[in-house]
Amino acid sequence: MRYGIVGFGTAGYHAAQAIREQDKAGEVHVYGDTGLAPYNPMLTTYYIFGKLPRSGLFPFGPLEEVADRLGLTLHHERVQKVRAQDLAVETERGVQRYDKILIATGATAFAPPVKGLSPQDAHLMRTVDDAQRLKDRLDRGDVRSAVVVGASMAGIKVVEVLEKYGVRVCLADLAPHIFPLAAYPEVSAAIEKRVAKRGIDLRFGATIDHMELWNGQKTAVMTDGSVVPADLVSLCIGTRAATQVVQGEVDIDRGILVNERMETSAPGVYAAGDCAQGVNLESGEKQIIGLWANANRQGAAAGANMAGGEARFEGNILHNITHFMDMDFIGFGDNRIQGELLEQGALDGDGLYVRAVISGGRVAGANILDSYRISGILKNYMLRLFAGEGGSLPDYQRAMLLQAGLRAEFIDRMEVMTRG
Amino acid sequence: MSKRYAIDLDVSKCVSCGACAVACMDQNDLNVKQTRPFRNVFDMERQEGEGTTYSHLSLACMHCVDAPCIVGCPSACIQKDPETNLTVFDTTNCIGCHSCAMACPYGVPGFGPDGKMVKCDGCYVRVHHGLKPACVKACPTGALRLIDLDGPEEIAPENSLRHRSMEMLSKQV
Ligand SMILES: Cc1cc2nc3c(=O)[nH]c(=O)nc-3n(C[C@H](O)[C@H](O)[C@H](O)COP(=O)(O)OP(=O)(O)OC[C@H]3O[C@@H](n4cnc5c(N)ncnc54)[C@H](O)[C@@H]3O)c2cc1C
Ligand code: SF4
Ligand code: SF4
Ligand code: SF4
Repeated sequence: MRYGIVGFGTAGYHAAQAIREQDKAGEVHVYGDTGLAPYNPMLTTYYIFGKLPRSGLFPFGPLEEVADRLGLTLHHERVQKVRAQDLAVETERGVQRYDKILIATGATAFAPPVKGLSPQDAHLMRTVDDAQRLKDRLDRGDVRSAVVVGASMAGIKVVEVLEKYGVRVCLADLAPHIFPLAAYPEVSAAIEKRVAKRGIDLRFGATIDHMELWNGQKTAVMTDGSVVPADLVSLCIGTRAATQVVQGEVDIDRGILVNERMETSAPGVYAAGDCAQGVNLESGEKQIIGLWANANRQGAAAGANMAGGEARFEGNILHNITHFMDMDFIGFGDNRIQGELLEQGALDGDGLYVRAVISGGRVAGANILDSYRISGILKNYMLRLFAGEGGSLPDYQRAMLLQAGLRAEFIDRMEVMTRG
Repeated sequence: MSKRYAIDLDVSKCVSCGACAVACMDQNDLNVKQTRPFRNVFDMERQEGEGTTYSHLSLACMHCVDAPCIVGCPSACIQKDPETNLTVFDTTNCIGCHSCAMACPYGVPGFGPDGKMVKCDGCYVRVHHGLKPACVKACPTGALRLIDLDGPEEIAPENSLRHRSMEMLSKQV
């Protein structure tokens, strides 16, 4: 067998690993345009912060080591097109045919151009190059002020980095609140208070409109007319699935549509990771869930199936943990769904705070502040309810939740409300 | 020869005596003022409808076959020990993100004073040397066991914490 893997991030890595577990002899050809080992985009800010050495960006080791370990043939080339009909991969150097092809091209950070912003002051945050560029710039020591656009998990991590470098930071978002896709407004408000207390200038309902020079100071003019000094601008606005290589070849919505086997609409062509759109178990609809663990699971399932196995990855729910500025924010599920409220702890207090919204006998969404300990069990409970299981916690999970400080009344109420 | 081990509890034999938890702290030199103990012992009584249920439990890392914490860790700190298949870790590059805790459906991962993850490693070094994990050795009732996943069932499935939680575990992503 000849396997082609297009894009060598974590999804591609996990696919290669799964192929090798089943097929020791097949040829595994990997295409990557970075010339680097698979890296983790979420570690970029940790590297700049100084929590990790540069090598820490590559969790699976250096490229040669990875290639050796898994017996891979590396192609340091950008793939231009994948032809589904004859399972061919086109690069500048030519065309190669395979028996199975995986698209694992991930996603790219995107931002619309900002008028007046010089390219050297504009920063995105996804790739190793993005990280190195911002680190080099900050190490020069001439950045005193910055605007970060996008109050997302990525945005707040960039803010944290800038804060560490002593930069005066303004965090702005058109949304009315921080973490608009994961947090309930009340929880957002509490987080905003904590962030503001650290001296971060927060602006919501506004974004950057253009840049101007005011008395020699680079200045961001915001959409609400206010102005903010900004030696640099970090744009954490969004990501887009990298689907160009299969445009017109397979079914694509926002991402490449896949089933539980990670098969696309074209036989022999699979997709996994941030470029793929699998099932959201809560809504039942297909949605890109751009998370590390999801990319790993999808990649592993794709690889196993490419090698003739029978692996299924049913889907996922939105889930996020962001550890920043000495706090934990955890968000599960769809924060737009309204329902009955279950709450424990005070939003302005210390320690565990949890808010769950129950709708239709399920936990539709949950926010947790400052208690990673209950997070894994709560997520598991949500997943079991979405899978149609009845609402009751086994004794070992209940005991661990109680020990972590969740009250029996909270657990009992949650069980009653989800008993169906 | 590499083996596939896990640590399992026979819930019908556990009496919540706590010997395992003490042995573990001792074995790992754990300062419990700074770090939560790896092994958690429970003696739980619950009113359910008419009756009362009693749970005697000892819970630490279950060394899941398809461990969600491994998949969730952004830095690949958590791995399977090739010799024993126990879930071990090297937290040199741990960033303290708590993703492993969000992935674990048993609530196991804890954190040391340096903010890095710590948990039960199955006493894999002892196991390499043919010894039992400290907690297993200390258990006076034989409830806690190092089990060979490819050997015959040592604990009746209805009493095995591992078996009882398999369905639950299969839903975790
Ligand atoms: C700042 C930031 C913070 C994040 N925080 C979290 C978090 O807290 N938790 C979490 O779970 N996830 C987080 N994520 C998301 C997580 O990093 C991704 O979901 C995951 O890494 C996706 O992996 P992937 O392999 O699908 O894609 P990628 O890592 O994007 O890999 C795709 C690879 O394919 C290559 N490629 C693309 N096109 C081609 C081509 N045509 N030819 C050859 N090669 C190509 C790319 O160069 C890249 O190397 C974060 C991401 C960012 C950017
Ligand atoms: S998921 Fe939890 S119980 Fe399972 S191996 Fe990881 S830490 Fe241990
Ligand atoms: S806290 Fe450390 S061990 Fe846990 S997931 Fe994060 S990096 Fe990995
Ligand atoms: S196996 Fe070792 S580390 Fe794990 S709970 Fe038992 S004594 Fe502690």
